[in-house]
Amino acid sequence: MKADTLAIHGGFAGDSGSGASAVPICQTVSYAHNTAQALADAFAGRSPGYIYTRIANPTTTALESRLTELEDGIGCVATSSGMAAVASAVMALVKAGDEIIAAAGIFGGTVSLFENTLRRFGVVTNFVDAADTSNLQDALNEKTKLIFIETIGNPRMDVPDIPAIAELAHKAGIPLVVDNTVTTPVVFRPGKFGADIVVHSTSKFINGHGTAIGGAIIDAGNYNWREGPFDQIRKLSQKVGQLAFLWYLRNVIYRDLGGCPAPMNSFLMLQGLETLPPRMAKHCENAERLAQFLQSHPNVSWVNYPGLKTSEFHDRVIKLFTGRAGGLLTFGLGDKEKAFEFIDSLRLGKNLANLGDAKTLVLHPASTIFGEFDAHELGSMGVTPDMVRVSVGIEDFEDIKADFEQAIERAFKEKK
Amino acid sequence: MNLVVNGKNTDISDSMTVTELLAKEDVKMPQMVSVELNGQILKRSEFETTRLKDDDKVEFLYYMGGGTCL
Repeated sequence: MKADTLAIHGGFAGDSGSGASAVPICQTVSYAHNTAQALADAFAGRSPGYIYTRIANPTTTALESRLTELEDGIGCVATSSGMAAVASAVMALVKAGDEIIAAAGIFGGTVSLFENTLRRFGVVTNFVDAADTSNLQDALNEKTKLIFIETIGNPRMDVPDIPAIAELAHKAGIPLVVDNTVTTPVVFRPGKFGADIVVHSTSKFINGHGTAIGGAIIDAGNYNWREGPFDQIRKLSQKVGQLAFLWYLRNVIYRDLGGCPAPMNSFLMLQGLETLPPRMAKHCENAERLAQFLQSHPNVSWVNYPGLKTSEFHDRVIKLFTGRAGGLLTFGLGDKEKAFEFIDSLRLGKNLANLGDAKTLVLHPASTIFGEFDAHELGSMGVTPDMVRVSVGIEDFEDIKADFEQAIERAFKEKK
Repeated sequence: MNLVVNGKNTDISDSMTVTELLAKEDVKMPQMVSVELNGQILKRSEFETTRLKDDDKVEFLYYMGGGTCL
């Protein structure tokens, strides 16, 4: 089945008991078993069965199945947030003394996790400009256990050469972890281009309406867990084969850290997925048109959208994303004051820390989601003081354009 | 023909797809099962199109809970 169909029907064929066509919300903590032996068998892994919602839940199972099918992977674990997904996936793989190579232009929350939290536990991350694959090659050493990139760096808006980086990782015997939040499986399936593990913040385009926080980890099925430098997973693969990563993830890391989604939130993600394909088409179309409009505006200093023909990443957008570059762009108005004035003058666009909503959203990254980093760090992450990040919504384009036009005019108006 | 299903020899009269085998074996929680065929996990989209052959090794696997087999 195609993505448009899987987004609606994947992972759930209707409730056999009630006939409900929407996925029922199983708002329960635990699951009764008919006999003591049945529960003992479920606990021992001898028999499949739900035990406790921190480990698995039927509503969340439907979401995991749908995401597995959309990413064409072998399985998924849904989480309480995108950060829970990143943390759980990475912590299943690394231990003290290990190293990570990560793209420099990734989401600030992930940078903080790697640079601050994981470093406290003895895991060192080397951040490199991932637009040039040779930088990753140079950073590789015998301690490196994984490479982490985003499909389009947020907010750097760089597009790594994902197939080349996958090849590099596999030659080194380590997995490539790819955050597919901003492209979604509708625009890009990282597993088809060699990625081993795909992570998502489902709070963004997948939810699509800014109503629930969530995340997901998908095993794309490319990495051979029977080999590789992960003792705990390699040992497990003797019993559960290629499911070893997912099994370890769910039954150890996920269970121990407690990052499970609320069933209601899994339901909201399932609803969001149903309209993801047409929404992504409109996000991409509106973003490209807005990027072109901003690029032609005399008061706009710069525009960064990989779908622009002038972008150094345009060829990769064509090759990897079949020409669609997502709904996110950044642009500059010369200084921080004008960026603030622009944001304050918007009537339609909402000033908030999120992306992927049906509504157009804006944000000043340097003073908000990247506010904890100093000027040098901001520079290496591609965040400038005048940068405005825009998550282009699916409203009528002429209304978005008119809103931006009047707000730019106000930002450049002489103050009396 | 003979299949090895979860380590046990299983005779089936005719070749069948993975979907048909799941029904024949009456596997628990079929929406949750992962199928490993000769050491490789099948994508769910391959269940209906993958036809089993003589001496194939099939494992039904779950990663949904339980935690003491480490």
